[in-house]
Amino acid sequence: MTPKTGERHTQLELCIPYVFGRLNPGNRKQFEAHLATGCELCKRELSELYEATALLPLLIRQEAPPPGLRQRILSRISSRKPEQARVERTPASREGRESVVTPATRPPRSWYQYAAAALGILIIVALVIFVNDLVGTTRNQERTIAQLKGDLQQQNELASILKAPKVEIVSLSGIEPGSSVYGKILWDSSSRKAMLQINEVPVTPEGKEYQLWMLKEQKYFSIGEFQTDSTKASLLKVIDLPGEVNQRIEGFVLTLEPKGGSPQPTGSIYLRGAR
Amino acid sequence: VQRNILLQRQQSDREDGELVKKIQRGDQRALASLYDRYAGVLYPFSLRVTGAREAAEDVVQDVFVHVWGKAGSYAPQSGSVYAWMTAVCRMKSLDKVRSTSQKKQGQEMKGVPHQSSQEGEQKSAQPETIIAMKGFTEAARNSLRSLSKLELRLLELSYYEGQSQSDLARMLRIPLGTIKGKMRRGIQKLRQVLAEEAV
Repeated sequence: MTPKTGERHTQLELCIPYVFGRLNPGNRKQFEAHLATGCELCKRELSELYEATALLPLLIRQEAPPPGLRQRILSRISSRKPEQARVERTPASREGRESVVTPATRPPRSWYQYAAAALGILIIVALVIFVNDLVGTTRNQERTIAQLKGDLQQQNELASILKAPKVEIVSLSGIEPGSSVYGKILWDSSSRKAMLQINEVPVTPEGKEYQLWMLKEQKYFSIGEFQTDSTKASLLKVIDLPGEVNQRIEGFVLTLEPKGGSPQPTGSIYLRGAR
Repeated sequence: VQRNILLQRQQSDREDGELVKKIQRGDQRALASLYDRYAGVLYPFSLRVTGAREAAEDVVQDVFVHVWGKAGSYAPQSGSVYAWMTAVCRMKSLDKVRSTSQKKQGQEMKGVPHQSSQEGEQKSAQPETIIAMKGFTEAARNSLRSLSKLELRLLELSYYEGQSQSDLARMLRIPLGTIKGKMRRGIQKLRQVLAEEAV
């Protein structure tokens, strides 16, 4: 709103601090709202002030910008479209602050923004792969650690069996003519822990598993089932012996039974050993 | 001579206006022409504000990218293209300083000797990077001699460093009223340069 002739226009006093960017946010907003009303007096004042202050840089000794800057600018704008002529530029928008904060006036995206976005996506994909790989590695390491813990526990159990004051041992041998399978079993009656060790044991057939039996008073007592695979030619296993273990153990046999085990030996005997 | 300067300036403003119209149509050569005219002023101007060559380069880039993007909003009746670019350059330079804290008050510029306008006026070798402004620049320099040292210093501190009047009063130990009066008179003298030109 342009004041009438002779009327004091207080907003004019705000023009200088406005041009110098020294109005506080509240006053600035208020002043810009006033400018938006179309006050010709203030617009003219601002225009003159901007022209006047633009003289100051002319007093600085001129200096050519670095070579290459011109080309960099032209490269930067090469993928952008300039804004078409539209509304009258207000003094408030002269410094272009709106262009920084208003999405509607945001300049079009340039090639390097798309490149940055593509790079960002690539980085994210790489990170996902890396994290997956890391998770996989971590899982593998966890498996290895669990296996090592198991091995260590077994070693400790073996050591405790071997350290026991009274350890008994029975050699196991194949009963088939020419069989190369052999092994041994050690046990500690006080802890009822036994160590089974077998060499050259064949790979367990599909649907079958090996079952170890303890022979006591002419009766077989199952003391565990296990399988072997092609990765191991020998087997070392710690077994808990059932019930009362005493001098009545007469021997051990290893048979091949249906998967899940049998209450009594039904399959062929692979190994046998007697006290 | 004064009339020649006026005609030269009017011609320059018209040419700038035509360049902006071409930029609106996507003419990159027009932007290159505008660069050739004003980069030689805007770069040292930003260098004066930021105190760092790299920052000044960034600012000048941003100014011309801004002009390219906002050419459609330019209205000749609001002022000259040069004044518009200068205002954008000042705002972006001060933003740069605020964001990077590259410059402290009273600190010498990195690799650039601190130069007041009056010193610059005496030393100026003035490469002819802005031929269109040459006559006007000389007239402005001559006319600005009417500014006292204090008036010029206050304008510079406020314009280049974004110092408020109360900051200036504290820093220079001068009453706030005196600061306001001196700055107002300094600005009036600047405007006088333009008024005399237009006579």
